[in-house]
Amino acid sequence: MNEKILVVDDEEGIRLLYKEELMDEGLDVHLAASGEEALAKLEKDKFDLIVLDIKMPGMDGIEVLRRVKERWKNLPVILSTAYHHYKQEFGTWASDAYVVKSSDLKELKTTIKDILNTGRK
Amino acid sequence: MGYDILSKIIEFTDSEEALEKRLEDVAALLISFFAFDQCAIYLFDQEKKILILAVEAGSKQEGQRVYREDEGLPGLAIKTGKPVFITQFGRIKDVWQGIADKSASGFKTVICHPVKDDILYGALYMRSMDKKIISPKKKKLLAVIALQLATAIKNYECIVHLTDANKKMQDMQARLVHAEKLLALGEMAATLAHEIRNPLMSIGGFTKRLQQQLGADPSHSAYVERIVKEVERLEKLMDGIVRFSDKSGYELSLEDINNIIEEAAQFFEDEFKGSGIAVVRDMTPDMPRIEADRQQLKLVFNNLMANAIQAMAKGGTLTIQTRHEDNWIVTEMSDTGGGIDIKIMSNIFNPFYTTKETGTGLGLAITHTIVTNHKGIIEVNNNMGVGVTFVIKLPVAREQGGNYE
Ligand SMILES: Nc1ncnc2c1ncn2[C@@H]1O[C@H](COP(=O)(O)OP(=O)(O)OP(=O)(O)O)[C@@H](O)[C@H]1O
Ligand SMILES: [Mg+2]
Repeated sequence: MNEKILVVDDEEGIRLLYKEELMDEGLDVHLAASGEEALAKLEKDKFDLIVLDIKMPGMDGIEVLRRVKERWKNLPVILSTAYHHYKQEFGTWASDAYVVKSSDLKELKTTIKDILNTGRK
Repeated sequence: MGYDILSKIIEFTDSEEALEKRLEDVAALLISFFAFDQCAIYLFDQEKKILILAVEAGSKQEGQRVYREDEGLPGLAIKTGKPVFITQFGRIKDVWQGIADKSASGFKTVICHPVKDDILYGALYMRSMDKKIISPKKKKLLAVIALQLATAIKNYECIVHLTDANKKMQDMQARLVHAEKLLALGEMAATLAHEIRNPLMSIGGFTKRLQQQLGADPSHSAYVERIVKEVERLEKLMDGIVRFSDKSGYELSLEDINNIIEEAAQFFEDEFKGSGIAVVRDMTPDMPRIEADRQQLKLVFNNLMANAIQAMAKGGTLTIQTRHEDNWIVTEMSDTGGGIDIKIMSNIFNPFYTTKETGTGLGLAITHTIVTNHKGIIEVNNNMGVGVTFVIKLPVAREQGGNYE
């Protein structure tokens, strides 16, 4: 069965891009446009991984991350954003990986694969 | 009579002319009014405690240039605070009543008048070959003139100080405005960059998908490739802007500047070779550490080296010097790339200012921000037609004996 991943991003274009690209990688991709929507989906469904944008209106990615890690401790989360410095600030805790947003999705894809592979073992 | 000269003196001493010119006019006026042969005006140097000849008017001009405060007739006048009047039939000798003063020698009438109010400003020294009786009225007039002169000198000094202070303030303000402008520009740019980044990412991402689906169809691939390239360029620009305004997230550790520079230089090794650039290292070993964010600081040297390489496309020499100076670790990076045109000098640290076709103009703006965030100073020494030296001063880490705030 395909791994189920949840992409959380407030930008529609980026959600669609992630969806198409990650589907091509053979993943079962679900989308959420906000932190609130993401938490609702997580309540209903079981996911293997979350790709989470940090900068979102309303509940931001950091808050979503905190709540996710409280409830589903072992659910891997990849943070994605434009800020480079978050890498340092949040590197020490919680998120499993960090990716700088770019139209080149190679980094994101390899990171997803790495995490899912470790999970499988 | 008498009030003429006083009003003239007031006129002179209040004019906008340079002090020296005003003193000259006063000296000339005194000579004609008192019918003396010579008039010299000395100014008192408050620090060195000496009288220095400022102007001379009249026939034979051979007064002593400098008097100590206890020397000669001017010395006597300023010590007692009272004018010295000498009038005699015979000529005055080299020594008068035990006071040696060659300037008086050969004259028959000499006046040495202190120029002072609460503070001593100088002295008037008037000499005549003839024996002249100075009436009490004239003495009084002279005292008033000397006081007016004192006021004029005082005002002049005040204005000079004021102008200096004013200029300093203006300079500081200009720098503040510049810093504020940079900050505001940076913040605006960062907001913009964030807004642009997301749509840009989907444009780029979908174009890449399009590229895959079109395959090698030559009728479209050139267009699509161009779009992908331009998007990448824009993404790089947005990246630079975000970095530029990225003030948080500094991770400080004790670093060896030589080591950071070396790492940056290694990054450009191929470029140096490719452009025929010789890198001369004059680095002081074992210097105290600095407190720095290694990645950020490396960016500083990356940017400077990139600029140097671009300026020396046809070869040259890059000299990197490091040294320890008081509480600073100083790095000088000199290239032989022809220097920066004076006309654009004031713009080079502005974000988006570039003279290069594919430049973002953010290199030096980011460099400036990072250095400032490290409590450092960056300076440019431009040698027009030869090259540029960028000087970067970073404070020695406190644990290393540095005591900067
Ligand atoms: N070493 C140098 N020699 C001559 N000119 C320089 C040098 N360094 C900077 N400049 C001038 O200053 C301008 C601004 O430099 P800056 O690094 O900020 O931007 P840039 O180099 O043009 O763009 P980017 O850094 O994005 O490549 C340059 O365009 C160039 O005109
Ligand atoms: Mg540059």
